[in-house]
Amino acid sequence: MSFTVALAGNPNVGKSTIFNALTGSQQHVGNWPGKTVEKKEGRLRFGTEDIFVIDLPGTYSLTAYSIEEIITRDYIVHEHPSAVVVVVDASNLERNLYLVAQIIELRIPVIIALNMADLATSRGMRIDVDELSSRLGGIPIVITIGNRRRGIDELKEAITQVAANPRDAELRVDYRGVVRDEILIIEELIARDEPLAKAYDPHWLAVKLLEADPGIDRALMGSGMGDLVTAADEARTRIEEKTGEEADTIIADQRYTFVNSVIDSVVVRPREMVFTGSDRIDRIVTHKIWGLPIFLLTMWIVFQFTANVSAPYLDWIDVFFNEVVYGWAQGLMVFLGLGGTWFASLVTDGIIAGLGGVLVFIPVLLFLYLALAVLEDSGYMSRAAFVMDRVMRWMGLHGKSFLPMIVGFGCTVPAVYATRTLENEKDRKLTGFLATFMSCGARLPVYVVFGAAFFGSTSGNLIFAMYLLGIAVALVIGLTLKHTVYKGKPPAPFVMELPPYRLPRGGDVWRHMWKRTKGFVIKAGTVILFTSIVLWFLMAIPAGSAKGTFNNVPAEDSVFGALSGVAAPLLAPAGFGTWEASGSLITGFVAKEVIVSTMNQIYVQEARDPEPVGEDDAVDPTTFGEDLVVSVIGFGEAAILTVQEVINIVPRTINIIPGIHIGEIAFFSETGDVEENSSSLQTALVASFSASAGSVEAGMVAAVAFTVFVLLYVPCMAAVSAMRQEFGSRWMWTQIAFTLALAWVAAVLVFQIGKLLTQ
Amino acid sequence: MPQRTTLDQLVPGQRATVKKVGGDGPIRRRIQEMGVTNGAGIEMVKSSPLGDPIEYKVRGFNLALRKEQASMIEVEI
Repeated sequence: MSFTVALAGNPNVGKSTIFNALTGSQQHVGNWPGKTVEKKEGRLRFGTEDIFVIDLPGTYSLTAYSIEEIITRDYIVHEHPSAVVVVVDASNLERNLYLVAQIIELRIPVIIALNMADLATSRGMRIDVDELSSRLGGIPIVITIGNRRRGIDELKEAITQVAANPRDAELRVDYRGVVRDEILIIEELIARDEPLAKAYDPHWLAVKLLEADPGIDRALMGSGMGDLVTAADEARTRIEEKTGEEADTIIADQRYTFVNSVIDSVVVRPREMVFTGSDRIDRIVTHKIWGLPIFLLTMWIVFQFTANVSAPYLDWIDVFFNEVVYGWAQGLMVFLGLGGTWFASLVTDGIIAGLGGVLVFIPVLLFLYLALAVLEDSGYMSRAAFVMDRVMRWMGLHGKSFLPMIVGFGCTVPAVYATRTLENEKDRKLTGFLATFMSCGARLPVYVVFGAAFFGSTSGNLIFAMYLLGIAVALVIGLTLKHTVYKGKPPAPFVMELPPYRLPRGGDVWRHMWKRTKGFVIKAGTVILFTSIVLWFLMAIPAGSAKGTFNNVPAEDSVFGALSGVAAPLLAPAGFGTWEASGSLITGFVAKEVIVSTMNQIYVQEARDPEPVGEDDAVDPTTFGEDLVVSVIGFGEAAILTVQEVINIVPRTINIIPGIHIGEIAFFSETGDVEENSSSLQTALVASFSASAGSVEAGMVAAVAFTVFVLLYVPCMAAVSAMRQEFGSRWMWTQIAFTLALAWVAAVLVFQIGKLLTQ
Repeated sequence: MPQRTTLDQLVPGQRATVKKVGGDGPIRRRIQEMGVTNGAGIEMVKSSPLGDPIEYKVRGFNLALRKEQASMIEVEI
């Protein structure tokens, strides 16, 4: 026999930690069908029992005003799990029991995991667990300390017992007075409809109707029971007339009265509201003066993580894939007698290169998700939203929007997923949309190359200007939307808990990181890989006759070149109407990093060497073993460099203060890094742009226009597929169209005006 | 002597008792679920460095509300 048990509870009570403790590695993360809320399922083994555990989203209540509540309630009501384990924060009993009361009202076997017992004790609270259990109708209560894995076995035992011998909760919140009378009236009406009374518990349904629960109202009206809803409405009016209060206020009140009566007999609490350790930390963190600087410092560190700390591994994967594995693949092709064929090229230049393009995302994402997980689990996230809300609101966003924006500076993909913390759909979409203008890390190489080619020593200004421009564009769009499309729509309310600070549990953070990164790699990976292969074919197929054979044709004359050529004239008003420029931009759709490497291929005319690889051709033959050793050493070096980068955050931060300069540490001496034909690419770029723009000065303006285009246009495939997943296809297409148009208009404006100014 | 005012008018450290939660449907429901109900004790902790939102202590935990929402909650000092 296999049972299903659901896990419910308030946010921030350590529910995930309990879930992880119960299911270990036997878990699967996905999405609730059609929704963007994470769904976690797992299996729990205890003795001979095999139990499915499903982690319901954290909610404060079971009304129908948020997706999380709807999912939780629908699951319990329609899927009939054998039991519901409610994870309760022992130091926060009142609010948590409010949810417990509502779940018990659903007449389903309940087990309470009284979590964070250590926190409660440290606050001087003492809870009579047996009395609590009996006051709640005899439901089993297990004391747990999730992040120390205490009480887990007892919890498993309780779950198995209840699942095997289910006993419906026997407790009812005793509503009083006028409300009680009206509940009885409606209950009776419900009972007359047998199938309805079987589908839902009449008492619970009556209460929901009196609360004017939108989900229930809709469901009933949809199945032709609108007269029930009307009867409920009449009841609500009567209640308001008799008491001067609305029905849902009274019901919420009475639930809390019930909860309080339970607690009063069960909990011994120090008289005064305790000044907790968290409050002490908050003295500084949300301090009038220090709050903002601390926030900025935290965001700076997150940014450093994404930009610099992930770099050593990123480089390592880049080298490992594009050189080592590439070499192995080539060797394999030769070994199979396929050396030099188009198939070999497909495998190496198409598939391996494509795979490399995906895997290169991994270090960035891991570090980003690490930073995100630590911020969330420690409780700092809500403080940051608290500090930033005013600024975000001015832009038409919500306090919680700041994080996706910051993350967007590293990579747009996790930024899109980070919008899940926003409760309001419109806020989520808008934040995701604006986050793409936070110039992501992959666009940086383009600025760097162009900056060096056209502006030499002042290239830093170009780069900085791009970042500022991105932020400015986001601000303007946000403000415009706020005063036009969203005008008059009230902003989503800000009602947010500031949970106690906690030390994030290493294992949970790690698991979080991996699962999310893996999810991305699989989903976006297939898309990027597919596109790389398509691109390879486009570059290999000659366009038109007599220009070359398959996979033996210069890029210009391939189908790819032809297609780029079609788009090229459109870019002429921006000063770079060449097939090379448009071709590079097209490949940038796959991944922004690809722009520079494509430009290398196209402008420098070297790399596309279709000569067969023969044994006598290998420049520096290495054995498989040697390669392996070098790679492992390289991995080790990357690890050390990562640590170095983490440490270097300190001097880098201190160096912001003008006048101070502390050197950064370097574990390895600068090994004159590969220059990568950069000067030949730069020369080629200057030549090409000067030609397409009309003069050398105009060429520089065109270069700026090009970087503006790169800043603003469509995000990469991975980000776009993340958007489709989170916001739907229509929004994705809107974004693609808008960013393309905006980029084009901006680039044209920059070029035309710039040309005038420099004449 | 008990005095009536709204939640956003409290100063840091001041305590009050909730008398009536105003506002409409979803927002009011949400505020009540979080424990801000008639008769509940509430204390103003501080406001955000930029002035809004405001942090309160209620039913043993810390809750942040915007001035807009807080101004709709009647309290008695």
